[in-house]
Amino acid sequence: MSGDTPVLRVSGLQRRFGGLLAVSGVDLALPAGRVLGVIGPNGAGKSTLVNLISGHLKPTAGSVLIGDTDLTGARPWRIAHAGVARTFQIVKPFRGLTVADNVTVAVMFGPARIRSRARARQEAERVLERVGLGGKGGLPPAELTVADARRLELAKALALRPRVLLLDEVLAGLRPAEIDPALRLIDELRGEGLTLLVIEHIVQAIAAVSDEILVLHHGAVLTQGPPDEVLGDERVIEAYLGHRYTRRNPS
Amino acid sequence: MAESSTAAPAADTTRPARGRRPRLPAWWPWGGGALLVLGCLGLQSQLYSGQERTVTTVFMFVALAAAWNLIGGYTGYACFGQVGFFGLGAYTTVILMVHARLSFWIALPAAAVVAAVFAAVIGLPLLRLKGHYFAVATLGVAEGLRELVTNVPRWTGGGSGATIPSTGDRAVTPWLGNDGFYLLFLGLAVVCAVVVALVSRGRTGYALRAVNQDEDAAAAMGVNTTVAKTVAFAVSAALTGAAGAAYAFQQVTIYPQRLFDVDITVLMIVMVVLGGAGTVLGPILGAAGIAIASEYLRQHLPEAHDLTLGALIIIAVILLPQGVVNFARDAVRTRDFSLLSNVRRYRL
Repeated sequence: MSGDTPVLRVSGLQRRFGGLLAVSGVDLALPAGRVLGVIGPNGAGKSTLVNLISGHLKPTAGSVLIGDTDLTGARPWRIAHAGVARTFQIVKPFRGLTVADNVTVAVMFGPARIRSRARARQEAERVLERVGLGGKGGLPPAELTVADARRLELAKALALRPRVLLLDEVLAGLRPAEIDPALRLIDELRGEGLTLLVIEHIVQAIAAVSDEILVLHHGAVLTQGPPDEVLGDERVIEAYLGHRYTRRNPS
Repeated sequence: MAESSTAAPAADTTRPARGRRPRLPAWWPWGGGALLVLGCLGLQSQLYSGQERTVTTVFMFVALAAAWNLIGGYTGYACFGQVGFFGLGAYTTVILMVHARLSFWIALPAAAVVAAVFAAVIGLPLLRLKGHYFAVATLGVAEGLRELVTNVPRWTGGGSGATIPSTGDRAVTPWLGNDGFYLLFLGLAVVCAVVVALVSRGRTGYALRAVNQDEDAAAAMGVNTTVAKTVAFAVSAALTGAAGAAYAFQQVTIYPQRLFDVDITVLMIVMVVLGGAGTVLGPILGAAGIAIASEYLRQHLPEAHDLTLGALIIIAVILLPQGVVNFARDAVRTRDFSLLSNVRRYRL
């Protein structure tokens, strides 16, 4: 990481579920405009890490700072107001609302707190256009394709105008042709100075957009560094990628 | 993240495009509501006293169903103890009018405030529960209130009931008469419907619907879910408490068994579910529909009233599980008016 002041700083983060240490001693420091990819086997603690940062779970130990504000254990809406947005691994649309109204909730209750319904709707339409859902604002979420449901999840997060964006498997279920535009959008967001933490199982995709990759294994950081270095690490191959992956992707 | 690849189908010029159907002007719900209220304002003079009392009861249930709709329909917290706020409002009125000798017009808003404060206080722990845990807990609160009222006879008359002096020198406010209560309950129904409409259209409505659909996602969007739920619960309780206050004064003598009867809660819930939970119009239609069906059956099938009404409710819930208003909305949008496909859609 560069010497810039981190927008998101996590120190010694830990979460215990009974006898299971789901996340153990994770440290992160992400400056503005950086993308950190997080990979690891199922059950490694990736989503738990996102839940701890977004306030959906309280840490057993450690701290979460957004800018200079300590938000350890704060409720999710406080963390959202501090500029942290997230998507969920299993999409969570508000099924009783239209696509546009889903995004309007975020515009109205996010840090901008736009109270006028008309202005909020306008902003929601702008965000929907950006993620490729233009013209679908009047549909109920149940009528969206898997890819569009993921776009809606992303639109809700972007409507908060976050400083930090936590993407939990936002590419899952997308067809190859749908992945490239998503990666381009992530790149654009990085260019706008957004700090991103991206959890993903599609290794080529995450390697393409990340400045650094962090590997979680059994809740702890196995290694962290530039994508090439991490993906060539024998411990990462052993714990997550497998030797077949390295044979297929020798570079 | 643009839409991938497939060519758009050629535009079908024979049917209006989806979502482009002619829209009604934005003011029509308010205009329609105002016309309905104006019609009701003159109706009492055309009714026999029995009919007038029935319509007054319909207004009361419109108010109660609209109030329950805020917490149960919009927020998704099925409060099975709503009758507790009804009874609390009623007994607050009794205590203020009998013991403090206050006018009914002071007791009525006071009852609403007491119910709201009580709901906010119990809401803080109870609204952490979800689903049937919340339902059972609120049921327990209503039963607890009934026991409390029964066991402080000095203030409430206990199980023997309490009477509000309504005639002569001891009456702090003279009884309003059938026409007066007709107008009072009409006013309450209008207030409840307007409050629900304003909540529904505003920022709070978005927050409540988001909480209803997914609390974690709502919180991630910046919705303070604790405040949203507590406000909905308190406003719902205030409206229910006000209806309880009016009912106590109308009945003159009230008993805890009747005022805390769980059947009242069940009726509110059935009315909202059948009319359409989470809509402004649904509880109004549900309350009017069930009250009219019940009255018709009472007159024409008195021996089988409960059985037939129960069977009608079961059939209606099977055919229209999302309620009349939500069914109509879906049907207009999808242009599919078949009840059978509606049943299939809800996998019954």
